[in-house]
Amino acid sequence: MAVPKRKMSRASTRMRRAQWKADAPTLVKTVENGKVTYSLPHRAKVVEDSAGTALFMEYKGRKVADV
Amino acid sequence: MPTPTKGPRLGGGPAHERLMLANLAAALFTHKSIKTTETKAKRLRPVAERLITFAKRGDLHARRRVMRVIGDNSVVHELFTEIAPLVAEREGGYTRITKLGFRKGDNASMVQIELVLEPVTPKVKKSKPAAAEAEAPVVAEETAPEVEAEEPATEVAPEAEAVEADAEVVEADKADDK
Repeated sequence: MAVPKRKMSRASTRMRRAQWKADAPTLVKTVENGKVTYSLPHRAKVVEDSAGTALFMEYKGRKVADV
Repeated sequence: MPTPTKGPRLGGGPAHERLMLANLAAALFTHKSIKTTETKAKRLRPVAERLITFAKRGDLHARRRVMRVIGDNSVVHELFTEIAPLVAEREGGYTRITKLGFRKGDNASMVQIELVLEPVTPKVKKSKPAAAEAEAPVVAEETAPEVEAEEPATEVAPEAEAVEADAEVVEADKADDK
């Protein structure tokens, strides 16, 4: 079985780990009731009442599913 | 005719995939709208639409071909008697997939796949939009040199008093008018 000849240095370990980054998702900006909201494109949104209770999911003005 | 799918089958093998898609189609015809993963919904769509096409044909041979896929005869009956008349006017596109979000356990993309049972509203062809006016770029070109010409005058202004600066601005405005 092949085995590493040398211990991997801290520097190279950290350089490898530094390359692992999260990329920002592409969001669409919409204005709802005067508030700017960011959301994923082409995905249904949860409609909430004034108290913040989730009611149903909506897409293009149509109710698509319950939460 | 659905395009053959490339890549691995859903589930454990070809038979498992056929059974899963048949069961999903039966559930879709029973409930008119089901929630599933995006991968399954995309595979289900051609299968379900083909069954609906058979249902629209409506003869005994078509019914037997549907019953080869869907085991439950009551579902087949509902498909032929209730769903088929509703989509009689529609030329394909009998299902609608709406993305909902991501499942908590495995982050799978969940969708709602539903039958499109509303009556068909034919699209109205839009008239071609009028050609954009060419005046806008010309105006921009005219204003650009004037702005450059004003800059030396405004640079001098801070050294002088504010009143003089205002006077210069007025003069600059007059220059714009000319």
